[in-house]
Amino acid sequence: MNLIGKRKLWYAISFVMIVPGVISLMLFGLKLGIDFSSGQLSVVKGNVSVSTVDAADQGLGFKDVQVVVSGSDQTQIRFRDPAPQAQHEANHQKFKAALAKRGVTELSFDSVGPTVSSTIATNAIISLVLVSLAIVFYIAFAFRNAPQPVSPWSFGFMAIAALLHDALFVLGVFSILGHFFGVEIDALFVTAVLTVIGFSVHDTIVVFDRIRENLRRDKGSFETVVNNSILETIARSINTSLTVLLTLLALFLFGGQSIRLFVLALLIGIASGTYSSIFNASPLLVTWHNFRLKRAEKARAKPKKNK
Amino acid sequence: MSLRVKFWLICALALITVILALPREDTVFRALGFKKASLSIKQGLDLQGGAQLVFQADLSKTQASQKQAAMDSLVTVITKRANFGGTSEVVVQRQGSDKVSVSLPGVKDVNDAIDRIGKTADLEFLEVNSQNNQTTATNVAGKDVDSASADYDPQRAQPVVRLKLKGGDATKRFGDLTTKLSQSGNLLLTTLDGQPTFGPAKTEPITDGTAILSGNLDVNAAKKIADEITAGALPVPVTLVEQRSVGPTLGRESVRASLVAGAIGLGVVAVFMLMYYRLAGLLAVLALLVYTAITVTLYKLSAFLPGYTIVLTLAGIAGFILSIGMAVDANILIFERMKEELRAGKSFVAAVEAAFDRAWTSIRDSNVSTLITCAILFMTSSATPIIRGFAVTLGLGVLVSLFTAVVVTRTLLRLVIRQGWGRHPRWYGVNMAEEGSK
Repeated sequence: MNLIGKRKLWYAISFVMIVPGVISLMLFGLKLGIDFSSGQLSVVKGNVSVSTVDAADQGLGFKDVQVVVSGSDQTQIRFRDPAPQAQHEANHQKFKAALAKRGVTELSFDSVGPTVSSTIATNAIISLVLVSLAIVFYIAFAFRNAPQPVSPWSFGFMAIAALLHDALFVLGVFSILGHFFGVEIDALFVTAVLTVIGFSVHDTIVVFDRIRENLRRDKGSFETVVNNSILETIARSINTSLTVLLTLLALFLFGGQSIRLFVLALLIGIASGTYSSIFNASPLLVTWHNFRLKRAEKARAKPKKNK
Repeated sequence: MSLRVKFWLICALALITVILALPREDTVFRALGFKKASLSIKQGLDLQGGAQLVFQADLSKTQASQKQAAMDSLVTVITKRANFGGTSEVVVQRQGSDKVSVSLPGVKDVNDAIDRIGKTADLEFLEVNSQNNQTTATNVAGKDVDSASADYDPQRAQPVVRLKLKGGDATKRFGDLTTKLSQSGNLLLTTLDGQPTFGPAKTEPITDGTAILSGNLDVNAAKKIADEITAGALPVPVTLVEQRSVGPTLGRESVRASLVAGAIGLGVVAVFMLMYYRLAGLLAVLALLVYTAITVTLYKLSAFLPGYTIVLTLAGIAGFILSIGMAVDANILIFERMKEELRAGKSFVAAVEAAFDRAWTSIRDSNVSTLITCAILFMTSSATPIIRGFAVTLGLGVLVSLFTAVVVTRTLLRLVIRQGWGRHPRWYGVNMAEEGSK
């Protein structure tokens, strides 16, 4: 099987998968939950209508009230209490009592102030940057003895390309979900993205490792070596992903409602990670290698003409 | 170490951890003569229900050199206040430079808890001139009070608060103040957070350091005020900036859901491994069970660590279940490699050794990248305990799985291939005839 030969097809598939999400990201961005934008979130039992919430909110003056039914028997009520922070809990108690009067039970309540949400957002960005940097350096270090014709850094950067692919895919899907279904992202979502990144690199490294090993034995052209390496590791890649995806699927179907979106982010991210480690990261090594060869040839060709 | 010794060590480890990991481990302890020993996994608020409150201190009026001390005493006072309800597992922690987080497992009345913890409770004694009603400050304040208790005064037929002043200087100053007041006929007004609470009333000279404060109070109010005074005033005012509360029903539901998901996840992975890798798969499943037992034991034992106790949250369980998938990955890498080596015509012994040797770099490099992610998540998540829980369980899972997938599986595999019955390629998912005909 020649996977590398069809690499343009694989890139095209990735492109088609990612572009809608990226467009959505540019147009609508992500819907930020209270972890990032501050505010209040009350999760109640049952399907609760907007009019019930409005009636319970009477006189409290909550702003930006949103009612989103999540899962089979829960409703999320999001709002922003314009009163000073000291009164928030008293207002919440009134709201809760008004809901209870209408037969609605509150399951959980979160309130996040602006100082906290900005800390969470800053930490999220710091950790994303740190994880990406640490991984490039680690891969460059781990592959420092990689035989020619590939430099250790190109292993690192191609792994980053693959992880960007996966992170963008997850972000894009959640941007679309956010715009059309009111799905918000929270602090856990950042964790999911970081885990996807870790996993994506995990998968990519296994293939790279085999490429390195086969390069040492020096069998055939770079393209053939990469192709064989992918084929030799493909059973492992798919089997590992299957086991992880199966456990995640169990969590998604039977785990708690409150982590369902977190698990969904992991599911699609890890599926994407498997694809990118097989069909993007290693083929990109070949594309990059060929690009450099061509450039080197041109550079060699030019002086000759001048003579 | 010989293979046999290793095998028995692994068996012993498995036995001990399985016993410790099982829910009824305390019966074993009792049988061994330890009366009170018991282990339990600490559950997060999202599993057992309760509230997490974060208060931010207003340090704008505090000198830079005093900030550290102010925060330390804030944590002390808040701890005292939060423990009043008798909730045993209250955890009060400093968070960042100016925040204090309080977790109250199983708390029923969150509003009351917020009220109780967030009040400054600044007690002041003021002198009220009996002629012109003007108030002047005195040299006695809340910091001079040692403790307070609610009491019922039969003479006045109403609840009162009984104060005990700190000895020495505080008692003397209070004595001087009350003596002066009783001579001049001026009144004593006691305020709490600027609100007149007791008095103004006449007072007799009090030199023994105890005082009875009466006002228009019912029993509950008297008790609450006494508690506030005993815990002491907050050194700086605080505001509630974050609250997360989970009802007990949702928590129970989450625990049940996670257990089901975990069991199904484990089961599906086991079936997959058995079908695909057969005998080797069976060994991997055994290693996976050892892995689960060790991990659960570590969760339980972490209660004895001075620095950090693993608190299991929903996200933490997700991390644990995810790490099951990763634990299997190392075995899949090894078994795939072993199949390749067998197909290449190597003997069983050579194939097993080559598989472990060659797969190791992949296993190491790929797991290190996950560990890096966990470490960074841990470092940047002081404000978000839920993320920290995930990073800890996933990271721990990766470490333990490296041990079980490599050491445990290798030992078992080496033992099995020594036996005649353990050397059939078919039992490892390799079809030699098919390979040969290719």
